Amino acid sequence: MAGRFDIVISPIGHMEPDLVETVCQEVRQMFHLDTVVVPLMADVEYAFDRERNQYHSTRILAQLAELAPACAVKVLALTRVDLFIPILTFVYGEAQLGGTASIVSTSRLKDNLPTLRLRECFFERTAKEAVHELAHTFNLRHCKDETCIMHYCRNIRDVDRKQNLLCRYCRTLLEDEFRRLRIPI
Amino acid sequence: MDTATVLIVDDEMIMRESLGAWLERDGHEIHTAESGEDALKLIETHPFDIVFLDIKLEGMSGLSALRHIKEIDPDIEVVMITAYASVPSAIEAMKNGAYDYLLKPFEPDELSILIEKILEHRAQFQENLFLRHQYQEQNRFESLIGQSESMQEVFRLIRDVAPMNSTVLITGETGTGKGLAAKAIHTHSRWGDGPFVAVNCGAIPEHLMESDLFGHEKGAFTDARDTKRGRLELAHGGTLFLDEIGEISMRMQIDLLRVLEDGVFYRVGGTRSIEAQFRVIAATNRDLQAAIREGKFREDLFYRLNVITLRMPPLKERKDDIPLLAEHFRSRFVQETNKPIDRISREALDEMMLYDWPGNVRELENAIERAVVVGKERFLKPEDLPIFQAECRVAPEPLSLKEIEMNHIVQILAENDWNIAKSSKILGIDRSTLYNKIQRYQIRK
Ligand SMILES: [Zn+2]
Ligand SMILES: [Zn+2]
Repeated sequence: MAGRFDIVISPIGHMEPDLVETVCQEVRQMFHLDTVVVPLMADVEYAFDRERNQYHSTRILAQLAELAPACAVKVLALTRVDLFIPILTFVYGEAQLGGTASIVSTSRLKDNLPTLRLRECFFERTAKEAVHELAHTFNLRHCKDETCIMHYCRNIRDVDRKQNLLCRYCRTLLEDEFRRLRIPI
Repeated sequence: MDTATVLIVDDEMIMRESLGAWLERDGHEIHTAESGEDALKLIETHPFDIVFLDIKLEGMSGLSALRHIKEIDPDIEVVMITAYASVPSAIEAMKNGAYDYLLKPFEPDELSILIEKILEHRAQFQENLFLRHQYQEQNRFESLIGQSESMQEVFRLIRDVAPMNSTVLITGETGTGKGLAAKAIHTHSRWGDGPFVAVNCGAIPEHLMESDLFGHEKGAFTDARDTKRGRLELAHGGTLFLDEIGEISMRMQIDLLRVLEDGVFYRVGGTRSIEAQFRVIAATNRDLQAAIREGKFREDLFYRLNVITLRMPPLKERKDDIPLLAEHFRSRFVQETNKPIDRISREALDEMMLYDWPGNVRELENAIERAVVVGKERFLKPEDLPIFQAECRVAPEPLSLKEIEMNHIVQILAENDWNIAKSSKILGIDRSTLYNKIQRYQIRK
């Protein structure tokens, strides 16, 4: 049964259960909110762009926000397809700033994985991007602190370098947003 | 990352929204326009740092929009957005002052590196401006002057407030002497023998602010060769004056709140907490309540600062002080320039009394300085005043003070080809105040 302030994690198509579980754990750890796994859509073919051979993430976000169950304070979708927004060649993920929906693609998070700890590293990357995009829906913008989870990553090396932690500025801003949404901290 | 005010000009809505949403997550303030014509209207009334301009637009072309933008404000950096077919025009645009061009769709890292480069470039520019400004401030120091009822009220408040330890927030337009009031409170307080440390939050570039206020430990960043004490430490036992508090970043607001609540802080790169005791006086020309509603200023910080409010009246509300102030400035500039100018003519004084002085005492000071420099007789005449050219004094019907101010701004803008930087300097107000007035009076090119 879903609570009042749940974060809905929505795998699209088949996603490895261990990966989904790792994302859920990290999300709970960061936001201190419960997570529920609810597949909200079977595929994202409506967002496919034939010319670019990629999927338009902004369109998926709009659809996710529509389908979000009433209990969901935020929604995070996980997909394996490659995402884009019209102005950029690709994105790791996208979120509605201060809105409901966010999405992360694992498509490019598999690039340059180390030979050791390959699986752990891939899981970590996905969890970091998931927390990052979800934090955008809590109105957090990018942060200049390179170790903060809200730092904008230009490449996969940046993703590996940042920690799954908020710096004290972003922490304060997140607490502000929780207070505004009347979510008990 | 420092943030910028960005205008996106593209006739495709999907591109405007896509780029806008992306940049918003970097914390930039985003405005959009769908044509060159609309973009120019916006640029005339808003200060922008960066414009993303599509080269192929309906109506006015991207290239011609670029030329107009550079005429209005040469400091704006313009990035052309182009499809592969239009690359030659983009190169043409670079010759006409565009900063760079991007081929759409862009690589995500290409975009972020470009913006970072532009902001670094602007930070350098700001830093130079800041150093120049600092030098000027040292050479301009006047005590508060005024016999008017509203100034007498200000003096009474200063005397009442000074002995208390409470934080004071001084409000008022630019040029009304907020800094002088802060200094007066300091002098009459029990901290009066201690240091008076002023920080102009609007003038210090954000990347310098943190170490300027909090200091840094040796090795905290590349340039930190020695340990440096910040202004907070320097203010120990005295008064910390935070001018233009409405301009500080969200990050600094969070840090300042902590200092005010706990009385302790850390140097950049330091782990030892430092305690300093000082009185805080803040000043602003902004409507902080409105900034709070827009989410740009923290409410908790506002209540920390706004224990006692002191409002500095604009010069137009205390016109009876104009003769006294004008005479004071005349005598000072005559001394500085050694010119034999003994007095201000009745006519010149009448004109000064009619005018609204949007830049307040500072504009009056600038006007008298210029008049003394150009004056050729033993007394200052209306023609000597930069603000009253002969032609604008011939009014066919009586004008209100507001109309005179508006006409004057229109005239100065026209004379300077709408160069905002130059015009604001002549008017003795800062860029943002000029933009506000252009908006309020709906002045169009
Ligand atoms: Zn982001
Ligand atoms: Zn951060």
